[in-house]
Amino acid sequence: MRIPPRQVQTLVVGMLGGATLLTLAVLVFIVVFVLDKGLPVVTWTFLAANPEDMGRAGGIFPIIVGTLLLPLLALGIALPLGVGSAVYLNEYTRETQMTRIIRFGTDCLAGIPSIIFGLFGLVFFVGILHMGWSLLSGGLTLAIMILPTIIRTSEEAIRAVPQAYREVSCSMGATRWETVRKVVLPNALPGIVTGVMLGAGRCISETAAVIFTAGTVAQMPVSAFDSVRTMAVHFYLLAREGISGENAYGTAAVLILAVLILNTVAYWTMHAFIRRKAR
Amino acid sequence: MTPTPTTDIKIDARSFSLFFGKAIALREISLPIRRNSILGIIGPSGSGKTSFLRAINRLNDLTPECHIEGVLAIDGEDIYHPHFDPVALRKRVGMVFALPIPLPLSIYENVVYGPRLGGRRPLRTELDELVENSLRAAFLWDEVKDRLHTSGLRLSGGQQQRLCLARVLAMRAEVILLDEPCSGLDPISTAKIEEALTALAARHTIVLVTNNTKQAARVADETAFFLMGELVEHGPTRQLFTVPRDTRTNDYVTGRFG
Repeated sequence: MRIPPRQVQTLVVGMLGGATLLTLAVLVFIVVFVLDKGLPVVTWTFLAANPEDMGRAGGIFPIIVGTLLLPLLALGIALPLGVGSAVYLNEYTRETQMTRIIRFGTDCLAGIPSIIFGLFGLVFFVGILHMGWSLLSGGLTLAIMILPTIIRTSEEAIRAVPQAYREVSCSMGATRWETVRKVVLPNALPGIVTGVMLGAGRCISETAAVIFTAGTVAQMPVSAFDSVRTMAVHFYLLAREGISGENAYGTAAVLILAVLILNTVAYWTMHAFIRRKAR
Repeated sequence: MTPTPTTDIKIDARSFSLFFGKAIALREISLPIRRNSILGIIGPSGSGKTSFLRAINRLNDLTPECHIEGVLAIDGEDIYHPHFDPVALRKRVGMVFALPIPLPLSIYENVVYGPRLGGRRPLRTELDELVENSLRAAFLWDEVKDRLHTSGLRLSGGQQQRLCLARVLAMRAEVILLDEPCSGLDPISTAKIEEALTALAARHTIVLVTNNTKQAARVADETAFFLMGELVEHGPTRQLFTVPRDTRTNDYVTGRFG
């Protein structure tokens, strides 16, 4: 029996729309649930005060700072390395067995659970290099963790820049680097920013690897060798140890809002850049 | 190397062959191109026209496993000499591609792309003047003078191709290579490009690859006919079209094949 194309069309639109709606509904439910339970706790004092009594009372200010610093450090390390590798693989080498192996390797690395990176960071940075549980150990570990993601997304973005642009640039007497800087990178930027956001998201939400390498000290760090606690870790400890469910949800609410703001700002900046480039 | 005796030869190919891996793309081409003239190159697709054009600015270098034999000289200098800098060469030899490809930048930025390369930072007033002159010479100024800072991608196909020509002119290139520049354009846009080329030939050496034999007949001073990687015949345009020496040329220009 054949179903008439018109009905198939209606059916498909219904199914696809349903899938989208369901996904959105789950997402909205989680966000609303967390905000509903968490927001009542969030006051200016909660945001600006130090935690007291292991987080039962007081606020989360040093934890917010830790949540900002750690991913920032990780991105500061991973971004130049990742984009650099992606540019090198795409623009400066020809496709060979070696580049295929490197790509396969980064794909595999991207799939490794974060706890393994945490373990490596614990042994190598914390232990062998004597950095201790610190911002630096955590930043380096997270950098390694998100490097494969940044390399692969940057690579995809760079590869999507039309070959014709490179030829045109080259034909006007641009060196390879001038072409990369003036044509390839600006056009790959939206994709690179997506990779950065994915990386930042993984850093912010990471717990296991952070506890292993950056520690859990809920105090304001004064140097790169101080331990920090991130909001995700704080939430985990408060909930896991049954210290304070209220403050755990408060932290989660701040975390969700922070991620929302971060994403909005990133995309807004990027689009402003693109508009300025070509109106 | 010995300087070319006749100084009115700008580009000189002598037994020039080009290979992509083991495949031969051009076989022993010997073709002198006169200074400040238009050379039309005609021939069916796959005849090596574009490969020859891209050999003149060494754009074939981008293709893996490309190598050459013989000599290709500009102003008596072998451009494939190991010490010759291809980046410097491309600043002197501009190229307009078959499809109009403005960079995703504003009209203004497209034109000043070349002059700003190599770390040069010309004065704003200099650039403004250069943009106006180049766009005027490409017969585009009047159509875009009020929107120089809008994207070059917003122009029509014909305007985009003239922008690509203006971009090359702003480099103050001595040689302009055009690879079927009118293949996607309407007759009016084509006429504008041809008008610009005729005017530019006073101070530039132009090599025009075209699928349209009538275009070569209209604008070229001399014409070369390529077939399967070989140069079949080369001579003054009128002679090539009216009394060709080779029967294959005759067949092609009269439309009997190709």
